[in-house]
Amino acid sequence: MKRIISLITCLWLVTATSWAQSGSSISGTVTDSKDNSPLSGVTVAVKGKDLLTQTDKKGVFKIQVPDGPQILVFTFVGFTDIELPASNNMQVSMNSTEKTLNEVIVVGYGKAVKRDVTGSISKVGSKDIQNVQAPSFESALQGKAAGVVIESGSGKLGQGIKVSIRGTSSISASSQPLYVIDGLPVTTSSQSDPNNDPTNPLADINPNDIESVEILKDASAAAIYGARAANGVVLITTKKGRNNEKTTFEVNAFNSWSNPARKWKFLNAQQYVDLIELAAKSDGTYDFNNGISGYTDVNAAIADYKNFYESNILDYFSLGTDWKKAAVNTDWQSLLYNKDALTNQVDVSAYGGDAKTKFYVSGFYNKQDAIVIDNRFYRYGGRLNIDHTATDKLSFGVNLSVDRSQLNRVTTDNAFSTPGQLVAQLPISPLYDPKTGDLNSNTLYSNGLFDAQFNSDIQVTFRTLGNAYLNYNFLPSLAFRSEVGADILNLEEDAFQGKETIDGGGVGKASAIISQSASLNTNNYFTYTPNLGEKNKLNAVAGMSYLQNDNKNAQSFGENIPSDAIKNLSGTTQITFANSTGARYTFLSYFLRANYSFNNKYLLSASVRADASSRFGPNNRYGYFPAFSAGWVLSQEKFLENNKFINFLKLRASWGQTGNAEIGEGNYLALYGVSNYPNLPGYIPVSLANPDLQWEKTKQTDIGLDFAILNNRITGELDYYKKMTTDLLLNVNVPSTTGYSSYLKNLGSMENEGYEITLNSKNIDGAFKWNTNFNIGFNRNKVLDIQGQVIEGGFGLTQRAIAGQPIGVFYGQQFLGVDPQTGDALYLGTDGKATSDYGQAALVVLGKSNPDFTGGFTNTFSYKGFDLSAFFTFVSGNMIYNAGGVYMTGGFFNGFDNQTIDELNAWTGPGDVTNTPRAGYFYGSGYQNSSRFLYDGSYIRLKNVSFGYNLPKSMMDSWHISSARLYVSGTNLWTGTKYPGDPEVNTQTFGNIGGGQDFYTIPQAKTITVGLNIKF
Amino acid sequence: MKKIKYSAILFVAMFALSNCNKKLDVIPQQNITPDQITTADDVKALLFGEYSLMQNANGFGEQLIFIPDLLADENQVDFVGTFTNYKDIFNKTEDKQNSVPAGIWSNMYLVLNLSNTVLNKINLIDPSEQDEITGEAEFMRGVALFEMVKLFGLPYSAGNVSINPGVPIVLDPPKYVYDPTNALVSRASVGDVYAQVLKDLKDAADKLPASQDDNRADQYAAKAFLSRVYLQMGDYANAATMANDVISSGKYNLVSTFNQAFNNVSNSQEDVFAIQQTAQSNAGTSNNGLTTFYSPTPQGRGDAQVDAGYKSFFGTGDFRKTFTQSGSSIGGLSGKYTLKWADFYKAIPVIRLAEMYLTRGEANLRNGGSPIGGIDPLDDINTVRLRSGATALGSVTGNDFVDERMRELGFEGDRLWTLKRLQMDVSGLPYTNNKLVLPIPQREIEVNSNLVQNPGY
Repeated sequence: MKRIISLITCLWLVTATSWAQSGSSISGTVTDSKDNSPLSGVTVAVKGKDLLTQTDKKGVFKIQVPDGPQILVFTFVGFTDIELPASNNMQVSMNSTEKTLNEVIVVGYGKAVKRDVTGSISKVGSKDIQNVQAPSFESALQGKAAGVVIESGSGKLGQGIKVSIRGTSSISASSQPLYVIDGLPVTTSSQSDPNNDPTNPLADINPNDIESVEILKDASAAAIYGARAANGVVLITTKKGRNNEKTTFEVNAFNSWSNPARKWKFLNAQQYVDLIELAAKSDGTYDFNNGISGYTDVNAAIADYKNFYESNILDYFSLGTDWKKAAVNTDWQSLLYNKDALTNQVDVSAYGGDAKTKFYVSGFYNKQDAIVIDNRFYRYGGRLNIDHTATDKLSFGVNLSVDRSQLNRVTTDNAFSTPGQLVAQLPISPLYDPKTGDLNSNTLYSNGLFDAQFNSDIQVTFRTLGNAYLNYNFLPSLAFRSEVGADILNLEEDAFQGKETIDGGGVGKASAIISQSASLNTNNYFTYTPNLGEKNKLNAVAGMSYLQNDNKNAQSFGENIPSDAIKNLSGTTQITFANSTGARYTFLSYFLRANYSFNNKYLLSASVRADASSRFGPNNRYGYFPAFSAGWVLSQEKFLENNKFINFLKLRASWGQTGNAEIGEGNYLALYGVSNYPNLPGYIPVSLANPDLQWEKTKQTDIGLDFAILNNRITGELDYYKKMTTDLLLNVNVPSTTGYSSYLKNLGSMENEGYEITLNSKNIDGAFKWNTNFNIGFNRNKVLDIQGQVIEGGFGLTQRAIAGQPIGVFYGQQFLGVDPQTGDALYLGTDGKATSDYGQAALVVLGKSNPDFTGGFTNTFSYKGFDLSAFFTFVSGNMIYNAGGVYMTGGFFNGFDNQTIDELNAWTGPGDVTNTPRAGYFYGSGYQNSSRFLYDGSYIRLKNVSFGYNLPKSMMDSWHISSARLYVSGTNLWTGTKYPGDPEVNTQTFGNIGGGQDFYTIPQAKTITVGLNIKF
Repeated sequence: MKKIKYSAILFVAMFALSNCNKKLDVIPQQNITPDQITTADDVKALLFGEYSLMQNANGFGEQLIFIPDLLADENQVDFVGTFTNYKDIFNKTEDKQNSVPAGIWSNMYLVLNLSNTVLNKINLIDPSEQDEITGEAEFMRGVALFEMVKLFGLPYSAGNVSINPGVPIVLDPPKYVYDPTNALVSRASVGDVYAQVLKDLKDAADKLPASQDDNRADQYAAKAFLSRVYLQMGDYANAATMANDVISSGKYNLVSTFNQAFNNVSNSQEDVFAIQQTAQSNAGTSNNGLTTFYSPTPQGRGDAQVDAGYKSFFGTGDFRKTFTQSGSSIGGLSGKYTLKWADFYKAIPVIRLAEMYLTRGEANLRNGGSPIGGIDPLDDINTVRLRSGATALGSVTGNDFVDERMRELGFEGDRLWTLKRLQMDVSGLPYTNNKLVLPIPQREIEVNSNLVQNPGY
């Protein structure tokens, strides 16, 4: 550190004095090769001389060089050094180190150069995250990092996002990764109303503040986070200023317009009437054939049923309009969406620094309208990152962000009031009552538009994330760093349901939830980097960490309001529920790590972490998590040293053990909870004790290859991994005759095995540039042993953990087709033959919800000021269950809901060969959950396409700005899939077993964005 | 100077570390552990927890009343809702994975768990109170076992009671750490379960006081349940005796009009045992609870409508015939709704005095000889009929009682048990039909190899 500071001081002195020297003056401009934008702050030095300068904010430099041929060296953080012969009016184009071997990677409790890393780490840089039209930054990672699967459950805003790194490594505990922002583990679990969908606390982070996201995938990289790293670790580093850089202001602004990416196809009025008539015919015929009501004439039977359907449904719900002529044809699906839902974002940042202090300051405002009505998300906030070097030994700094977000929510997918269920209303139902002109209140299900009009559910979150650090260099080789951080999240959710609405129950209801999560974290560690000569490099870290989280929650629900005028709890006159709860957890950890490299050729790393947590009983409170890794840079060996084809080749291998403790509090204790009976307050048993409860452990082996070939034009990484999770924290079922239904026990094992391929290629490199980035991750999950436990999840169709199968397989009745004679749905029977008796159908594994492989590929083109990129993501091999199918394709048996168009193929009579069983409210068939509603969920999606233009320099000068980029981008513009709805769907966002189920879920947004980025 | 600085930092670090270890002991803030049950109040709280379980949707708050009526739906109730678990039971197509039997099963065994804990810790109770607390715990256990054996086993009337499987009888206090060696219980025979039910309820009737505060179970609640047990067993003399004890206690009166027996804030004069509800403590208002199903939208879901055949049971002038309202289900079907469960947060009558009259009358009639209690069966049935404006009968048969129970006790979960004990068809099915017996929940079979599934599942 001392050296660097003195060097920097030197630089300034030299720069100042260099003007006085003789020789010739050389000038030029340095630009970023990616978009030809000027680079300011680039150090330009004369090789072998103490002469140097920096580029100004237009990228221009001027330097006095001695006479004679000279070499200029251009260096800049984040870019590859360039050496060029000095000449006048130089045009220097520098390549970003992003996705190269010199890239600096953030690792746990430190940094490393990618070349020296022996673990498997994916880095996603700010360019991929910036200005992505997504409610939360994790969405921007989708398809960018091999083996990282991001599932946004729906097109609702602010909702939870499921992230799996190298598969699912737990059954009952959380399988979400640990998120660490600037060294501080942050709260990611939903704090809002547990009766609604979980929301995502990470959505409070401004994506444009993020410098990089590093995803620690293998054990060697992640084990330094030991107990909480089994699901991988996501390290988020926010932007910092740079020393000796003039202050740059940056303004980003965009507007975007969104619409649903995919819609279902539902019946129109005429088709609905036709299907109703078919159902009447089928029911009448069935009744007659089976002698149910004793009809002597089939036509009389049909006429009776026709009468039932027409009077109870068609006449009743058409409100006197002529349904026979389809006089009303309401497209209810279109009513649940906003047209061209608008998003705007503006953010401004300033960054720079002098020799001792560097800073980054930003503020942002973002307002998003969801594609679904009544769902809005507003955010604003600011960030301040400051680093100060006090002496050559002491430096300190602070990273602080304060945000407020407001989420206007809609109800969960499984609520009659949710806009997504409007599709169930009948196309013959008028939107407005023809008699009164008011919104139709006489619909099949209560009209969710009333809820949209009268209800509100507003969640406001205040988030303060901050940490301060102090760095003290005892010796040049020994540094001590102490960090103290806090993540304080305050959430208030006020919900109101008016008298007119189904959720208001005719009396009007309101609720208030206040939730507070406060995490205190401290990390204290020594870093030892002795000088062992040129060949030997050692970096050792030893330290401790303590984390304490306190969660407070107060909820009140009331009802009975005088009128809809007061839209909060104060308007209610009867409290139905009020409670406040608190929970704390703590983690105490010690860690050690050593990285050694010999001759830049042989790399060795070892780490161990000891963790203790309040979540486990005294019997097994501590867990120990070691990791080892080694790397061999083959390209440094003699036999490859001058190889023209291979520029870099590194073989690496790692093994390590990580843990999982995400099980909530007090699970090792037998507990009673309070029961509430009028005047008789009591206790009831809640949980069984397990004093031996301990960490779930994941051992992971990783073998990888990093390479660069063809003059570094193609770089890539190949990885093979195998993760074995043992001592699974399982909710083990016990006979309910004990009074308990399950308890948490370490039992069983599960594995994930896979391959990852990442390729980056510079296809054409010149004035016209074409780069391709490709990644793909294959993962095979297998539950090895759960000792016969039945562990289920899922929404409509049951999903299970079954030994020998991937986790969360769909499990149930297999639909085989339709009997052409009877129209009965046929299922695979327990005897292996087809049966029309659903109750006799065998329960079998029907498919898996986890994909075989996922990935993405990006093509980027640039020419002069123009750039174009197209980014596709793909997912293959998973199934999606449409849990709404039993209603929307159930042939009226489960209600008179409007049907999807495939129900038009319903069986019409003996001899009709079809795959859609007999329709009918009374005697329909095939309406139960079965593989009938299970679909191939594979898809490929044009996730993002963007076209940008950097305004020419001549224009910039006159406006005194250094760069300006205008861009247009599109998200989810095209999707290829066999699934009839949106394949990016998950009505149960969290949970390891349930997944890939659709229940009137809002599809993803298809978005067009126009934006501007200016630096001056 | 340097040394001082180093030691200061080390000292601070050491101090921080030594403090941290204590931080790992975190005590739950809204739960207690078993070792915290140390006082009489703690034990009583466990007993009161049982009332909560009886109140919830898997108890009398909904399913113990609603599910028997869905099975005996004919001429009584139509299920027009979307919940497939209920719809399957209504259609007699329920399978072993249906969540309703699983919910009832686990809830009732939780009752047993608590009763057994209370009985085990009875020494913490003041000796003067030990008897009544014992009786109350036995009452809860007896009622739970009785409801279970009726739902999950063949009826007593089907005979073979020493062979037909009932439900497991659990009498030991719970272990707080799971131990499979004594947890894999087997189903006791129907006869053995009835014997345990009689033992518990009889002891409860002996030990419970004649009246209790807060509408807790008293000796008459135990006797009223005993009358039901004996009636199921066809032991008419004892059934009549128990019903007569309740009637002749003088503690209860028929309310003057039928509607006053329902939707009361707490027990009416005719409630022998009722579940209390308030806005803060109830069986559910959106997806569960009797009112949720039986009340039309927007208050309830309106999933359970009065079957068109119900009114054919009534003669002219019978108030009970018109004790309905019109409305619509959440699925958009309009129909008639019983008013018995019209309002949220009201007491749920489990046993009313009217039932005791009908039981005494029928039991005396079927028993023959001089009537226990000295009241003619005809007078008992007419007492109930006249209250609702029905015409007095001139003579009475056993079948009159069957129909009168439908008129008086419809939608209160009685019909199925009346038909079964008399070996009468239920919704067109023989009374021993497989689908009229709930399946042993599949998850229980899977975790306990000693449990035998019922036929047909």
